[in-house]
Amino acid sequence: MWMNRLDQAFAALADPTRRGIVVHLARGEASVSDLVSLFSLTQPTISSHLKVLESAGLISRSRVAQLRPCKLETEQLKAVTDWLEKLQEIWEGNYQRLDALLAELKQAQKEEPNK
Amino acid sequence: MKPAEVSTPSDREVLVKRSFDAPVNLVWQAYTEPALMRRWLTAMPGWSMPVCEMATHVGGKYRWRWRDENGQEFGFTGEMLEVALHSKIVHTQIYDPGDCDFGSMGGEPSIITVTFNETNGITNVATSIKYASKADRDAAMSTGMTDGMEMSYQSLDGVLAG
Repeated sequence: MWMNRLDQAFAALADPTRRGIVVHLARGEASVSDLVSLFSLTQPTISSHLKVLESAGLISRSRVAQLRPCKLETEQLKAVTDWLEKLQEIWEGNYQRLDALLAELKQAQKEEPNK
Repeated sequence: MKPAEVSTPSDREVLVKRSFDAPVNLVWQAYTEPALMRRWLTAMPGWSMPVCEMATHVGGKYRWRWRDENGQEFGFTGEMLEVALHSKIVHTQIYDPGDCDFGSMGGEPSIITVTFNETNGITNVATSIKYASKADRDAAMSTGMTDGMEMSYQSLDGVLAG
């Protein structure tokens, strides 16, 4: 369940417009009409992007205020960045061993320039 | 060197970038000679690479397998699609789960593109992993998460044992 949510979040963030919306909402809440004028897209297009972000748990929309402002759900965004961090750790672990190996190869080349 | 940068440029792709303080011929050697590959490509702490059959010609098949301290194994196999000395390697990659339950990674092969670029003795390496479908990428991402979590549990064990 939780993992499905994370997959959804990645799929949602794969779209440049939706990433743009997330970046904008990081600065504060915004209404649909704010986003329509900001991104120069139609209201239905913005609404469908918001629906994807909302079902991925990345944003929430107020049920109270008439304009239903959109708000970033930082918890879910953190799950995504945490995942990228873990992946980064695995690669970086390999690369640090590669750094050490390359230093050794460079040294060997210096000592035996004709090899 | 700056730590590796991981990004997801599209819903089917993961991109990893890193620079190395060495000329491209040495980086190339480390990426293509099995004896050298096994020394750094060990996947995760506690894992080794007992099988590393490499191919550096188009159409050649490679086979990589990893094993952990408990004898659990998983691997990758695939075919070389493009090899340009000191500049580019493109290959397919099929996940062989072995006896590791890392979850499904999808049946379709991914396409791995590694590019090498040297400037002033520093070699920039970019690795793109393109999954056959978004579902495959999501499955692989879930796997990555599992690996990562396993790793933190292991470090936690280490701290508790100390």
